[in-house]
Amino acid sequence: MIVSIDWIKDFVNIPDMPSEELGTKFTLVTCEVEEVLLTGELLNNVSVAQITEVKDHPDSDHLHLVKFETGKGIREVVCGAPNVKPGLKVPYAPIGTSFPGGFTLVPKKIRGVMSEGMLCSETELSIGSDDSGLAELPENAIVGQTMLEYLGRKRDVLLDIDNKSLTHRPDLWGHFGMAREFAAVFGEELKYPYNEAWEKSLSEKFSTDKAPVTIEVAADSSCLGFSGISIDNVTVQDSPDWMKERLEACGLRAINNIVDISNYVMLELGHPLHIFDRDTIKGGKIVVRRAGENETFVTLDEVERKLVSTDTLVCDAERASSIAGIMGGLDSGVKESTSRIFIETANWKDSEIRTTSSRLGLRTDASQRYEKCLDSNQNKQTLLRALDLVLQLCPAAKVVGNIETDGYKEEKAPLVLQMTEEHICRVLGKDLEAGKITSILESLEFIVSEDKGLLSITVPSYRATKDIECDADIIEEIGRIIGYDNIVPASPLNAISAVRLSNAKKLTRNIQDFLVLRARAHEVLTYPMVGEKLLKKASWPQLNEELQLANPTSPESDRMRPSLIPSILQSAALNQKTQSAFRMFEVGRSYLPDAKKFSNERSQVALAWFSKKESPFMDLLNNLEDLFAYLNLKVKLSRPDYRSVNPYVEPEWKGLHPNEILNFQVMGKVAGFITSVHPVVSRDFKIKGNLAIALLDVTDFETRQIKDKTRYEPLSRFPSSTFDCTVVTESKEPVASIISVLNKLKIKELEQVSIVDVFQMDNDQKAVTVRTTFCDREKTLSGDFISNFEKSVMDTLEKNGYPLKK
Amino acid sequence: MLQKLEDLIIEFRSSIESVEKKASLFDLKAEYLGKKGKLNVILKSLKDAAPEDRKELGIRSNNYKIEIQDAIDNKLSQLEISEINEKLEKNWQDISHRDSVRDFGMNSAGYHPVTIVQREIEDIFLSMGFDILDGPHIEDEFHNFEALNIPATHPARDMQDTFWFKDMEHLLRTHTSPIQVRGMEANKPPFKFVGPGKVFRCEALDASHEAVFHQIEGMMVGENISVSNLIFFMKTLLSEIFKKDVNVRLRPGFFPFVEPGFELDIECLICGGKGCSVCKQTGWVELLPCGMTHPNVLKAGGIDTDKYNGFAFGLGLDRLVMMRYGIDDIRHLHSGNLAFTSQFKSY
Ligand SMILES: [Zn+2]
Repeated sequence: MIVSIDWIKDFVNIPDMPSEELGTKFTLVTCEVEEVLLTGELLNNVSVAQITEVKDHPDSDHLHLVKFETGKGIREVVCGAPNVKPGLKVPYAPIGTSFPGGFTLVPKKIRGVMSEGMLCSETELSIGSDDSGLAELPENAIVGQTMLEYLGRKRDVLLDIDNKSLTHRPDLWGHFGMAREFAAVFGEELKYPYNEAWEKSLSEKFSTDKAPVTIEVAADSSCLGFSGISIDNVTVQDSPDWMKERLEACGLRAINNIVDISNYVMLELGHPLHIFDRDTIKGGKIVVRRAGENETFVTLDEVERKLVSTDTLVCDAERASSIAGIMGGLDSGVKESTSRIFIETANWKDSEIRTTSSRLGLRTDASQRYEKCLDSNQNKQTLLRALDLVLQLCPAAKVVGNIETDGYKEEKAPLVLQMTEEHICRVLGKDLEAGKITSILESLEFIVSEDKGLLSITVPSYRATKDIECDADIIEEIGRIIGYDNIVPASPLNAISAVRLSNAKKLTRNIQDFLVLRARAHEVLTYPMVGEKLLKKASWPQLNEELQLANPTSPESDRMRPSLIPSILQSAALNQKTQSAFRMFEVGRSYLPDAKKFSNERSQVALAWFSKKESPFMDLLNNLEDLFAYLNLKVKLSRPDYRSVNPYVEPEWKGLHPNEILNFQVMGKVAGFITSVHPVVSRDFKIKGNLAIALLDVTDFETRQIKDKTRYEPLSRFPSSTFDCTVVTESKEPVASIISVLNKLKIKELEQVSIVDVFQMDNDQKAVTVRTTFCDREKTLSGDFISNFEKSVMDTLEKNGYPLKK
Repeated sequence: MLQKLEDLIIEFRSSIESVEKKASLFDLKAEYLGKKGKLNVILKSLKDAAPEDRKELGIRSNNYKIEIQDAIDNKLSQLEISEINEKLEKNWQDISHRDSVRDFGMNSAGYHPVTIVQREIEDIFLSMGFDILDGPHIEDEFHNFEALNIPATHPARDMQDTFWFKDMEHLLRTHTSPIQVRGMEANKPPFKFVGPGKVFRCEALDASHEAVFHQIEGMMVGENISVSNLIFFMKTLLSEIFKKDVNVRLRPGFFPFVEPGFELDIECLICGGKGCSVCKQTGWVELLPCGMTHPNVLKAGGIDTDKYNGFAFGLGLDRLVMMRYGIDDIRHLHSGNLAFTSQFKSY
């Protein structure tokens, strides 16, 4: 919204200060001033000059050397305008004049001749539309006068205010309300021209005739009060310059005096109104009612709007003339031929205006005011101010009848809030001298009475619609007027309490730390929303249709992801285009539908190890085993089978590798899986290389405190003995099976079984060297013992189908 | 005799110079120090020397014996070292061929920049006694709006372009403020906590607008909390975040969940408040919304407003990340692109 300081000055004196400072002050106290604009600067620099001599430029066939009287002496410029002639009065911009767009006149030679400024056209000064030559000023224009004086205009300071910062202040949507704020901010007296005497003088214009238009408001409509008055004998013509200037300064186009009055009053008092051509009102009445189901209405912008039964319409006896509080129709407005008018001011339920306007996608100057919740008490003043201006601009106009009203609700008792000064000071953290609070509130037109330190504060009705409701709102009024800069910062006094990271947070950090510092992976983030296309590309069985958004920004992100896997595949596909190898992971959430709670958010880690050359599967698997060890989590790895349901991947997912796949179990529950990505799925993502992925879901144990169960065992005083033997087995035999055979040996001195080496003998067979370590913690093992043990190791291997390599 | 001894040592000194192999060194040792060696021959003939020379001869020959022994030992270790060095030379490796110059893909590792900045800020809060909480991304209207004093008809809902689910009852949280509500529900005052996390807005995307971004929400509730406390706290916090003293100012700002509500500006860190293009010549940069928690919000969280009050604030994490590293496009953050991620704190 644009606020004109010139207009504000109708109601309050503004102390002299640089306009920037004025904007900053208002920003700090009331609402955000986005920009401070100065108008009239250009016209103030440009003055009336009279041409005395015109000569051809020696080096040009269309340029002239023009001498002219400025009132401060003769000047000369080079000028190309066709209409230069001695005696003509024209606007002259001297050196130093800045034009809109940032261009400033500097002394300059044009084809060798010095030019001292510029003579201007209408368009260059934005005072008309003729750009064919210099603006020709009439004979009676006074040489030396500024163009501002000549045009009878004023300089003005315009504040461009961020509407968002006025969301809660319906009272500031007009200049009078703003002036009230300025008065409080600067401690100036508010002039109050619309007082009782003014009302009385206007009501004297009413006549005893029967009102030609009566009002009927349906009780179930969104109307909170509707008033109207009929006027005859108006003359539609151009508005006076002062009115045009103010409207244009505030960004509205001047149309004709009657339309301009309705806009002017809205900008002045903040309350919308509408002026009808009364001849378009059929049946002599205004009917306010709900729209019928399937009813349509063509608004002023020539769009046919589909209405619903919760919309409210303003109609005459036959048809609708506007969508209440939002926009009028094509033909109720004032035309050049209009002479009888009807002025309407009304108030509407904020929420209903908002619902209708957002459904229709139609926000107007009126609707954005109504939806802030206006005060019905303002209707009358608004109506009278419009009448006031009509009578000023059309002296022949005559009021017919009195003000007609309907639809007003019973008047609410004024809102009175009670609190102590001490409470206000305590919440602000600032001591204020006695009476300060009362004087601030009174400057904002609150009525304050005090009884033994308890303030009873009566809130003006225009602030009580929604803005001011409780003590905190009053504290804000005091705080902002004294200025938050005047509050000295002080530390809160708080009891000491120990804080530490939550278990979940600690777990997340440990996982990130391990994966970055130890597993050497990059952390990435991907979108929590995905589209059906990606899920299908990943052949992911779950499409998460239950968690679809009603208003997605694109089909690629129209639902919550059921798993991190499709996202990490997509990211891997992107990165393999430029990288020959990488490791990456994401710590994030996936979202599953839940019959009871709607959704079930899972905290997960997805990992993707990629290499063009060789399979990264074993690297990833080893990293994961180490990760679990680092996290002090006992993990059980197992091949998926029909008994173990894995909630994190369907067994039929095409991305699973037939052999390189394992499930993890943590605390007795499946918590994820690892697999090499099946080439079929890699192909669908155009991934050329080897990709291994894993998913770890920590949701079920992230909040638990995980204990480090490491226990020290005293070192043995007696030496241990190791025994290596090499067996032959099939290529596809897992070495772990050999180890588990030996682990079943019931020998208490057997401390460890491990694999020393694997050697591929041919396509079908391999040689595996197994090391067993024996130790007796009580004594040194005897030679007999050792040879016995070694024998039983070899026998066991032999018996289980692992013959010794010859 | 004496002359003979002197000749011998001169001869030794020159011949040891030219020895290059261990074997010849051992030969040399035998030649001079062996039982039948040159030195022994002279010593044996000592008795034939004139008695007045005998003492002098004894001292000198002993000294020369030591000199020869030492020279041979030194030479031996020299020869050994050069022999080893020769072997080492054969095992030469190119120490300039480091991982950092090899192309075998992304050989570095690193945290996401959001993680780096978020952790840093979490740790600052932790050091100031704040707990760190989180909540669900999929919220209901109560926690995202109603409990925060934003009823269905409130104009503030205009400001939030909410992603709704098809049931029109659930939504993606538009701010981290629902964490406040859940924090109040779960804790008894006095308390202070922050809630960092992802938030979602249905917005047209461009270099500075994302539909998914990160905020950190904070709240302190206790007895007699004041605006003055809020300013003090914010100044302390922001000085920690920006690692230098910052000046802050509050101006009125409208947020339904706080009253009084503020926009907090910090004095421009680029120009120090003198005015520059970053602060649009004002000397101040709008940084975060904050305020005294609205009584309706405290009540919705089950807090006794006669006894307790508090303040709350919200901080956009992505903006801090972008400021810190000079990132030009917010959309990179969720791109999953290693070309982007690998630029931050890589190891
Ligand atoms: Zn600056």
